[in-house]
Amino acid sequence: MNEKTVTLAHGAGGSQTNELIDSVFKAHFANPLFTGDDAAVLPRPEGQIAASTDGFIVSPWKFNGGNIGKLSICGTVNDLSCMGAKPLYLTCAFVIEEGFPLDALEEIAAAMEKTAAEAGVRVVAGDTKVAGKGQCDGVFITTTGIGEIMPQAHTSGTLAKPGDAVIVTGDVGRHGCTILLARNDFGIESDVDSDCAPLWGTVQSLYSVTDEIHVIRDATRGGVGTVLYEIAGQSSVGITLDAASVPVDPRVKGVCGMLGLEPLYLACEGRLVIIAPQEHADAIVAELRRGRYSQNAAVIGRVTAENAGRVIMETEIGTQTVLPQPKGELLPRIC
Amino acid sequence: MNDSMKAAREIITSYSGRPLRIMEVCGTHTHEIFRLGLRRLLPEQIELISGPGCPVCVTAVGFIDEACWLALEKQCIICTFGDLIRVPGTDMSLAGARAKGAEVRPVYSPLDAVELAKQNPDRQVVFLAVGFETTTPAACLAAKQAREAGLTNFSLLTANKTMPNAYKALVGSADAFLYPGHVNAITGNAVCKEMCEKYGVSGVVAGFTAGELLTALAVTVRLLGEGKTPFFRNCYPRVVRDEGNPAAIALMHEVMEPCDSEWRGLGMIPQSGMKLRAEYAEYDARLKHQMPVITGKPNPACRCGDVLQGKIRPCECKVFGKVCTPMHPVGACMVSDEGACAAYYQYS
Repeated sequence: MNEKTVTLAHGAGGSQTNELIDSVFKAHFANPLFTGDDAAVLPRPEGQIAASTDGFIVSPWKFNGGNIGKLSICGTVNDLSCMGAKPLYLTCAFVIEEGFPLDALEEIAAAMEKTAAEAGVRVVAGDTKVAGKGQCDGVFITTTGIGEIMPQAHTSGTLAKPGDAVIVTGDVGRHGCTILLARNDFGIESDVDSDCAPLWGTVQSLYSVTDEIHVIRDATRGGVGTVLYEIAGQSSVGITLDAASVPVDPRVKGVCGMLGLEPLYLACEGRLVIIAPQEHADAIVAELRRGRYSQNAAVIGRVTAENAGRVIMETEIGTQTVLPQPKGELLPRIC
Repeated sequence: MNDSMKAAREIITSYSGRPLRIMEVCGTHTHEIFRLGLRRLLPEQIELISGPGCPVCVTAVGFIDEACWLALEKQCIICTFGDLIRVPGTDMSLAGARAKGAEVRPVYSPLDAVELAKQNPDRQVVFLAVGFETTTPAACLAAKQAREAGLTNFSLLTANKTMPNAYKALVGSADAFLYPGHVNAITGNAVCKEMCEKYGVSGVVAGFTAGELLTALAVTVRLLGEGKTPFFRNCYPRVVRDEGNPAAIALMHEVMEPCDSEWRGLGMIPQSGMKLRAEYAEYDARLKHQMPVITGKPNPACRCGDVLQGKIRPCECKVFGKVCTPMHPVGACMVSDEGACAAYYQYS
């Protein structure tokens, strides 16, 4: 066990900074484009470029199914993928708390390397800052990515149309549930693991079925429910969900039952919401179910002209009711 | 939908008799009824009214003020069931106290608060003991465990409530009660039978799945429609036995004793609360921290009290949905997912 920790000297720009960069980051991110200069110089892609940035402050930094490093790659890769853009290059900026263990940083960088390789994306530039003890919580990572948009891709939250099918690529709420339990505030033990995954391959598989994909969104913070409300608002359509067809892992269902939480509002980090014409829905789901990260894909609802801006649930007793709007902090109820 | 659910649904939707008012006493029932869109099935003669069975909703304003005082004046770590955090006190909620530097931790069980006290021997930890017979035994167990562990930095701020006298205070407000299955699982059915035999109040113990709720409501509608009143039925036999849970009751009475208690909306109801017995006085946060008498002042515009008694529907309150929303609640009923106002707001 390596007992070494990150010190303020590691962030001072001198030899110790170089040592940290060489031993941890360069060792994992080495590729011909990774720059030692002030900016990376990159070949120009042929198509349009998509750019996205995301900050990650998850606590605890490590959880069942991943860590903040894996998450920071997946987050930006997935944001690019949702625009139909093949992720090409990433930059990452670290803010590390003084005293953070070096072997933990090593573990985070290794996860980033592995995930980036899987997603086919290169880390081309980075930055490291060290914050004094208590000024941040462990490690914060910001990743920025650019990708090349496939010529046939044209997706946006404004393009959902009445008659479209609503599809999710897997069971909902696993990441949020995992983090909630990892914080250990509730004394509930479960082996539920995060769905955190890079989804460029999943998006590519959609376009192997049809180019007519109207909306792709990754359901991160706020979960699938929040994404559906955003789409309903942006496209001025209603969305009707069939409660029984929303895939939820039994462990997540159990935890949510105990804490009084709605799985549709728990974060995912490896799930997409897809809106596409009804006639392609079955073929899309069949194709998705062949993919590594989308084996539980399902049609969960449809887009309607009525109820614009709202998400309606069809319940198990055959009634329709409004899906409550997302609220702020998740506060488990009493009994 | 299975056949028994379809049959229950048919009984409810085809009812054509006199107008009926049925009160679901339990907050979890309120939430499930909204989640399932159950009211949409009801013919117009049947009105479902939400009773005072959400523990957060009936907790008095002054209790929040007391908790904020402990958090801010005494720097105690406050452990609480999550949905109490946003309930408004006279000046602020616990969320507001947290913004001023108070340490407020949501926990799932009072025993988690005991663990926290063990881990923080230099800090005073207070658990906010609210809730009915369902949660009180766990609070009692926490006090017992704290004593066994010799902890001197753990205490309970109690506002525990019991249902029997609240039922009596609600006599006349509905044709029948849907009794809270979780409470009856602890207390047994004797109180409900007494309500039927002595006070002529009809009621049915209901479970919490879609099928159980539909069944309980169908039984209530049919018996009321046939005029076979007063009646009592246990429609949750899967969980509720006549004798309840004697071990939990014994634990509760070992550590706590009945006291008068203030209910938001219903006022002071004699012998409707539970407080720590003298033997456990050292775990009573009010005594331990020499708390002065703190009296809360509810916001005068808020009509949670009338909502809790089924006198008005939430939308008849002037601040409902305007000043008072789930993000900015004025009254407790807008905070908890089990509160009638929050449920009306979210599902309409």
